[in-house]
Amino acid sequence: MRRRGRRPVLYRSWVAVGAASVVLLAACGAGVGWTSGAGAASTTGVTKSSITIGATVPLTGPAAPGYSEIAPAMDAVFKWVNAHGGVYGRKIKYIYLNDKYDPSTTAKLTRKLVLTDHIFADVGSLGTPTDLAIQKYLHAEKVPHLFIESGCNCWSTSKYPEELGWQPPYTTDGKILGMYIKTHFPGKKIGELYQDTEFGKDFMKGIQMEVPASAIVSKQSYDVTTLAGAMTTQMAALQAAGAQVVAMATIPAATALAMLPAYAIGYTPQYVVDNVGADAPTVGPLLSSFTQLATKTSSKAAAAPGLLNGVITNIYMPAESTATNPWIKVEKAILEKYTTTTVWKKHGLDGNTEYGVALGYTFVQALQAAGKNLTRTSLMHALDTKAKSFHTPGLVPLRYSTKVHYGYMGSEVVQETTAAGTFKTPAGTWPSTKVLSPVYTTTTGRGPVKKYTGKVPSVPKALAKLAG
Amino acid sequence: MRLFVNVLLSGVAQGMVFAAIALGLVLISRATGVINFAQGAMAMFTTFLAYTLLEHGIGYWPAFVATLAIGFVFGGLVERTLMRPLQGKSPLNAVIVTIGLLVVLEGLAGSIWGNTSRGFPAAFSQQGLAIGTTRVAFSTFDVFTVGAVVVLVAAIVALFRWTNLGLRMRAGAFAPEVARLLGVRVGRLFTLGWALACAAGSLAGLLVAPVSSFSPYYMDLYLIYGFVAAVLGGLVSPVGALVGGLVTGLATAFVGGYLGSNLEPMAALVLLLIVLMARPQGLFGTAIARRV
Repeated sequence: MRRRGRRPVLYRSWVAVGAASVVLLAACGAGVGWTSGAGAASTTGVTKSSITIGATVPLTGPAAPGYSEIAPAMDAVFKWVNAHGGVYGRKIKYIYLNDKYDPSTTAKLTRKLVLTDHIFADVGSLGTPTDLAIQKYLHAEKVPHLFIESGCNCWSTSKYPEELGWQPPYTTDGKILGMYIKTHFPGKKIGELYQDTEFGKDFMKGIQMEVPASAIVSKQSYDVTTLAGAMTTQMAALQAAGAQVVAMATIPAATALAMLPAYAIGYTPQYVVDNVGADAPTVGPLLSSFTQLATKTSSKAAAAPGLLNGVITNIYMPAESTATNPWIKVEKAILEKYTTTTVWKKHGLDGNTEYGVALGYTFVQALQAAGKNLTRTSLMHALDTKAKSFHTPGLVPLRYSTKVHYGYMGSEVVQETTAAGTFKTPAGTWPSTKVLSPVYTTTTGRGPVKKYTGKVPSVPKALAKLAG
Repeated sequence: MRLFVNVLLSGVAQGMVFAAIALGLVLISRATGVINFAQGAMAMFTTFLAYTLLEHGIGYWPAFVATLAIGFVFGGLVERTLMRPLQGKSPLNAVIVTIGLLVVLEGLAGSIWGNTSRGFPAAFSQQGLAIGTTRVAFSTFDVFTVGAVVVLVAAIVALFRWTNLGLRMRAGAFAPEVARLLGVRVGRLFTLGWALACAAGSLAGLLVAPVSSFSPYYMDLYLIYGFVAAVLGGLVSPVGALVGGLVTGLATAFVGGYLGSNLEPMAALVLLLIVLMARPQGLFGTAIARRV
């Protein structure tokens, strides 16, 4: 009896709750509809006063050295922007998570960024295997996958229209350096040392398009997952093959681990190193142990200008050593004022922090170009149509169009040499950069390497003011 | 010819480092039956302490000695605090604790010293020795490496063979209950085993750091090679560890030099497989007879 008597009451209360929630939901729905009707964004991750973006980067693990500085440097740009009112009143919130360069972690963290943090876009995620692991997912979720920190030839494809590379594709690096080798070291024996991934293979593809196959006497590679000690065997093999010029596609640690044993066996070829692994303040500290003996000085050695001196590489942004360059001044000012981490104190302006600032500023420009009514579509449209006129630190303008989703497609050949002077960072004193060639542009295909004759993007006034 | 000599010499230098790591594994394994997965991480941590000492202007040799001493104490502490409570429980527990220690130490080192790679000073010049006009892939520092590891192995062999303490250690490892009944304080010997192992690890850390990119993870791969070396040597004998290290070092160097460096880790594992199939007790092991 009792139960029977109670049941309807219970049912009624559930009905009431149900009805109430329907009303509540309707109210919420009306609220959202109203806001978007008033012109603010209904886009995920965008409100009237904020834009939330995310990325996965290695903050620990073998790939962290150097690369862990990039995201904090990007964030410094956003802090500067936020301190000046944001972009169209929206402040940029940048969530970067540590994937340790492990693709399965990248996939997991990216789902968290999309589902829990509701990011507007994935901006500046680092690595080829890691970004390949999330491209399908971001495509399915229609999340822009912007400024991937990798030069793989795989980011410009109609299959993934929301995907954009940023730095020059490795094949264009290889072609430009290959052309330099062909014209300046004719008849010399060429050796290759490359990372056994898309990075190394794409770069050597470029080298081989320019350097005649008969000149290449030895091809050595290394496995980045098992990179631990000095690469004595590879360097001994290059020496035994008589290679006088060694073209290298190596990450910074690998550059050091190649130069050290070569020096030990008295092998001093002309190194031609892809920009990824040639940044003196990044590679130098790894070399310091060889230049000074522990028994004579403390371990804080004045690095290794000796080993890096004479290295030929390519750059697509102004060299850190050109202190008078307006972009360099601005980058230093942003890092000094807006990095809360120890990045500025420990590294100052090196290749990684410069990369971060430039990439962060590219995103700010994209937001400005997308206009007040920010949506994913308006952002992608702005990048496809207006990026060529962005003011970023590249030596060439960004290349984005509806057909091409690579960023910088050009660079100049330089030499790190004490003959050009030296420059200091908190990590030590390094050989300055001497320009060896004009700025070249090229494609990832068989297209020619062409001299760039257009304008070099200048520093916008708002930024120039910052440097004082 | 030049390539052959260089590969041979770099294999020897590399092998000695593997031997030092293998020695640490062997010391713990024979004393307590545990494979210490934190061997590399413990070595890394003490090497970072050495780095800090050097940064503070303490000379290399005082720092070198201090680091070995720190390693010794550290190893003993780990045994007393982490491993002792697990005694008599499933060996799997101990293994999992050492893996946990590995993760904790690498994380801790990263948060204290940062994850960036850096250079680490060597005791002697790393420029290859000159023979006539050519330099070979063997430096004064490599000579020191070989010497230090050989001396360490000799000292440990002497300890086991000719001292009373060594006899008790062997007895404690062979039959703990019987040794205990005879008045040997086996627990202390376990602590000593860990302490010696960690000191050996510290030496390995100091020898590896200058020839690798020194970061909280720099010992990870070396631990794998060290493990291969230890198993090759039979996991019981210090001399076995030395020979195992040398064989592993030479095998990886020759495969790397002539077949391609990508095959180096595989070469080590194939070697391991061959030895385990042909002689499961390792080159110097006698464990099978006892296990029956």
